[in-house]
Order: sequence, then C-alpha cells, then structure tokens
Amino acid sequence: MKNKVFFVVTVIVVFLLGLLASSIVNRKSEARYEFVPKVDIMENEPRNEVWGENYPQQYQSYMQTKNGDFASYQGGSKMRDVLEEDPRLVVLYAGYGFSKDYNQGRGHAYAIEDLQNTLRTGGPTGPDDGPMPSTCWTCKGPDVPRYIAENGAEEFYKGKWAGKGAEMVNPIGCADCHDSNTMKLKITRPALVEAFQSMGKDINQATHQEMRSLVCAQCHVEYYFNKNLPGKEGVPYLVFPWKDGMSVEAMEQYYDNLEFKDWTHKISRAPMLKAQHPGYETYLEGIHADRGVSCADCHMPYKSEGGQKFTDHHIQSPLNNVANSCQVCHRQDSNKLIENVYTRQRAANENKIKLEDMLVMSHLEAGKAWELGASEEQMKEILMDIRHAQWRWDYAAAAHGGSFHAPVEINRVIGSGLAKAQEARVKLVRLLASLGFNEQLAMPDISTKHKAQEFIGMDVEKLKAEKEAFKQNLLPKWLEEAEKREATYTSSSVPNK
Amino acid sequence: MGKNSSLLPDKNSRWFTTATFLIAVMVGLGLFMAKEGEVVSYMSDNPQACVNCHVMTPVYNSWMHSSHRERANCNDCHVPHDNVINKYYFKAKDGLYHSYIFTTEQEPDVMFMREESQEVVQNNCIRCHVQQVTQTKYKDYIASHEADRTERQCWSCHREVPHGRAQGMATVKYNISPKPTDTYESVIPEWLENELKKN
Repeated sequence: MKNKVFFVVTVIVVFLLGLLASSIVNRKSEARYEFVPKVDIMENEPRNEVWGENYPQQYQSYMQTKNGDFASYQGGSKMRDVLEEDPRLVVLYAGYGFSKDYNQGRGHAYAIEDLQNTLRTGGPTGPDDGPMPSTCWTCKGPDVPRYIAENGAEEFYKGKWAGKGAEMVNPIGCADCHDSNTMKLKITRPALVEAFQSMGKDINQATHQEMRSLVCAQCHVEYYFNKNLPGKEGVPYLVFPWKDGMSVEAMEQYYDNLEFKDWTHKISRAPMLKAQHPGYETYLEGIHADRGVSCADCHMPYKSEGGQKFTDHHIQSPLNNVANSCQVCHRQDSNKLIENVYTRQRAANENKIKLEDMLVMSHLEAGKAWELGASEEQMKEILMDIRHAQWRWDYAAAAHGGSFHAPVEINRVIGSGLAKAQEARVKLVRLLASLGFNEQLAMPDISTKHKAQEFIGMDVEKLKAEKEAFKQNLLPKWLEEAEKREATYTSSSVPNK
Repeated sequence: MGKNSSLLPDKNSRWFTTATFLIAVMVGLGLFMAKEGEVVSYMSDNPQACVNCHVMTPVYNSWMHSSHRERANCNDCHVPHDNVINKYYFKAKDGLYHSYIFTTEQEPDVMFMREESQEVVQNNCIRCHVQQVTQTKYKDYIASHEADRTERQCWSCHREVPHGRAQGMATVKYNISPKPTDTYESVIPEWLENELKKN
C-alpha cells in the first residue's frame, strides 16, 4: 500500500513539474508573438515606406527629417549655402568639387534628392559621363546594401556615378541600420568592417550601446577612395584610413605614407587632402563618448507619444530637442544649455577663420611663386605644409559637430594647423623675396561666393545649365527604370489569420 | 513511508526500479527548468537578467534611455544594500513572488511596487543622493528635502526618474523578439560576410 501511495505522489509531482516546465517554455515564447507584423519585409528591402507599415511610429518620426526648418549657430536642417556664408572656401577648394557648390546637409530623407541636385555631381548625359565615381552613392541609402548583396562590392564601386543612377532612389533609411527580420542593428557598409579588421578589432564584439554609434560610423567618418588595392586596381574602393589610428596626425601620416591626394590645388598646386566628415572620430575624443553616451542617445532620444515609448527616428540636431536629449542628464535651463554649446562652437570658429585666412593667403602666395618661376624643388616643402595645414582645418571644419563633440581636441587641431600654415607662409615670404617679390601680395576681392568663383575662373552658369539638362533628360529615365524594378520586389502583406 | 524513514521503497520491492526512475525524471525536469529559466543569471547584477522575462521590457528600455544607465543597474535600486545576506534574501523573496505571479498569469499590465519594495528603493535613492538631500551647503539643497525624504517618497515629485510616466507592456508595442537588448551573435549580415570573404 505504502509503495502505491508513494508511486502516485511521485507521478503527480512529475506531472506538475511538467506543467511548470511547459509554462516556462510557453511564456518565454510569448515574447515572440507580442508583435505581429503587417508586412513580411524581404532582406535588404530598400523602400522605407514598406518598413513603415510595420513600424509606423518609427517611420513617421523618420519622415520628419524632411522638416528643413531648424538652423542653429552653425548647423541644423535648413538648406544653407556654405560657400555664400564663407566665400574663402571657394579658394580653399579651388580645383575640387566643393568649390562649385556646398550646402549644409539636410535630413536623411533628402540624401538622394540633394545629391542629384548638387552641382558637384555635374550634369551627366549617360551612364559613363560626369565628374563623380559610383562610390559617391555609398552613403546615400539602402539601395546600396541591396545592390552590393546582388552584385558584389567591386561591381558597385566600379564606373561613374551616373551609371548607378537608376539603382539608387531610396534615401538613407531603415535597411541601412536594421535587420529586416529581427530589427537588430547591423552593419551594411563593407568599409567599416574592413576598417575594424585593419585595426585588429572584431566589430562583432560591439555591445548594443556601441552599435548605437557604430551604425552612424558607417558614414559619418573620414574616408578616401583607394584605386590601388591589390586585385582591384582602378576601382575607387572606399576605405577608412584608421589602420594607424584615428587622430588627425595618424590619418595624415597614413595618407603621406601612401602619397595619396584627393586633388591638386588649382592655385598653389599643392597635393591636397579633403577631410570628409570625421564625425565619429572626433566624437570619440570628447567627454560624452568618454562617459558612454552614444550618438543615438542625443540625436535619436527616447520619445513618448500617445502613451507609447519609442526611439525618435527624427535624427536631428539635439539643440532642436533639448528636453529629450541634453536634459535627460543635465538639469539646466534649455537656453543655458544651448548657450553652452554655442560658446564652444564660437571659440573654435574664431580660430578656424584665422586659419582660413592664412590658408587663402598661402595658396595665393604659392601661386605667385609659381608665376615668378619657382622650381618644384623650392616649392615641395611649402606645398606639404599647406597640405598639412588645410587637412587640419578641414578635419576641424568638416567634422561639423566636432567643436561641440570635442572642443578641446578641435582647438588643438586648429592650433597645430595655424602653426603649419605659418610655417608655409614664412617659407613663402623668403622664397618670394629671393624671386624678387618683397611686398604684401594684394588680396583679391572674394567677399561673395560669386566673386570668389569668378576669381578662381569657374563658369557656374555652364555648370547650372548642364545640371538643368540632366534633370530634364536623364533623371526622369532613372526614376522610371527604378519604378519598374521596385514593382518586382517580394515584400508582401502578411495574410490575416 | 511510515516507520521506514528511507525515501525509496525496499530494495527488494518491485516498486524500487519504478520509483528510482520517476525520481530521476523529477531531477531531470528540475535541471531542464533551471536551464530554461536561466536560473544562474539571477545571481548576477546584470540588468539583462531582468529582461529574461519580456514583461520587464518597458522598464528595461526606459532605464536604458535614462541618465541612471551609466551609474545604477536594476539591483542598485531594487534590492537592499545594507548587507549581502539581506540583499540575496530580499532578491530571493522578491524573485519567488515574481515567478509565482508570472506563472499563474496574474501580472497586471502596469506594475507597481509593493510597499516593501518601495522602502528598499527609497533607501537606495538616499544611499547615493544623500549629500544632495542633507547637505545645506550644496547648491541644489532644498529645505523641504528633509521633510520630504522622511515623510514622502522621492518619486512623489521626481516622477520621471528613471522609467518615465508611460508604463506597461502596451507602451512598447514594437519591441519584437529577440529584443534589442539581446547580445549580438553577428552584426554583419550573411551577404556582407560572404562579400568580405572574397577579398
């Protein structure tokens, strides 16, 4: 009898344990069904609006990047003509695309449109025409990962910008940072992974918090086009120059070792470097990065709307949203916080302008030296000084948020740029004197963008006419072709169950 | 069992094998549940242990976006820190209560702390912020803090700290599983992995 009772009791206990185990398993999998998608999003789906059907709040806030209505002291989302605001840049970039047209970057949703419209991309008449390579599309939208997945990176980097025009129609959006299945953050640009490899790091070790900056670092970084990669000669392959470090000196040394230049300056003939936008590199130098704050913490803060909490995908200047960004940690008044930012930016800007003036003068003086018959040998060192000085200026200027993200570092960089530019000018004064020119070089009138562009001999009207013709003739064909392709995509509605 | 104090029936009994087998099943099921329930993770201070269970997603995410993220994890506020025994005693007690409520599906959509838990959190607020609420020479000192910290609770006024006011599962509709808090296996999609191998 006793054994029978014991047997029955054990059976009941085992049965209950089984129930408990099944409850644990069930409740764990419950999390998986909390969310029921409306659309089955295909891998690398480039159309943001398709993702928007599943995630309307994120999508709608993303669409607010179309609001081009905020201007801060030096940035914001408004269309600002940088060359008009500071015509010195026309001279500094003489011989390079940025002297043609340079506008303040607007929201992500404008990435494609603004690139099609800028004079820098010219007015191509066919797929093999125009000044820019295909590589220029790399950061412009989720059609890039789609194209690379379908055709390979080499095929993507190959050819002219116009050659891929019909492929690239969706602006920076969902698939650039998210996995279509799990919504996890992911890296979609080969260059960042390769840059980590070159530094001997494994990007897969990144934490979620680091990923909230690294997805931005796919684009907001310094890069160059390497046409000499073994096995891929001639293809402008996108590379981040991080192998020996991310500081301004380390990257400069890297380029010097490669004898790389972005262009030859039209007036001074110096082998120039264009700093792209080392936003991530400069952010890493600052106090916020040091304290573990990610890009998304300030530029995409948590938002509460209609009883729902979600990440604000209206990626923008935190100064337009102080309450949800700065004030999560800092308790000061909004105006006070904004003033604190501007104070740092103004201080950096003051020295930046001084450096610009010195750079303009050194380009002109170098031009004068060539005119008076200076030899390559005499100019060599001077041109390297100009190259290094302007690289530092551009590193500080083009890392648009740098003077706030890392004010101390940016001022250090500008300071060392001033020293380099001074070095160049001292040498130039001596050289000019030895060539018989011992007086102050007259400064041309470059007080407006128009005058400056005229001074460097640019025919802007011609560029504009070419652009207009491109928009009339080629662009509509691109859009038509893209529409046909997108009709074949396989993202589909999930049937109601 | 009766007079016989042994758990198992007599060795010669025909029940012996059956009972041994069933007891082994119990042990096996117990181990299975321990694994499924990630039991070991609850010994740690890692906030990700708290989101083993998805109903904690809203509080995890709001904490993750708060200034407390860099300074205080879940346990820093929600279990006592007067001594290590009390810490684990409270944690075990609270944890058992949680698992009971969750297993019997009694959890409300919006959760509130029990009185006992409130006391722990209140003490922990003061544990870190003691100078701000007691030192008169501090710039942020407010005279009423003295009465407020003894008669009221910090979050009666600081209502947004740190989880915000929108509470409950319904506030995080689009957090799909695996949650963004999961650790990554690979941040590189397969097509890119293949692409990189070509080089």
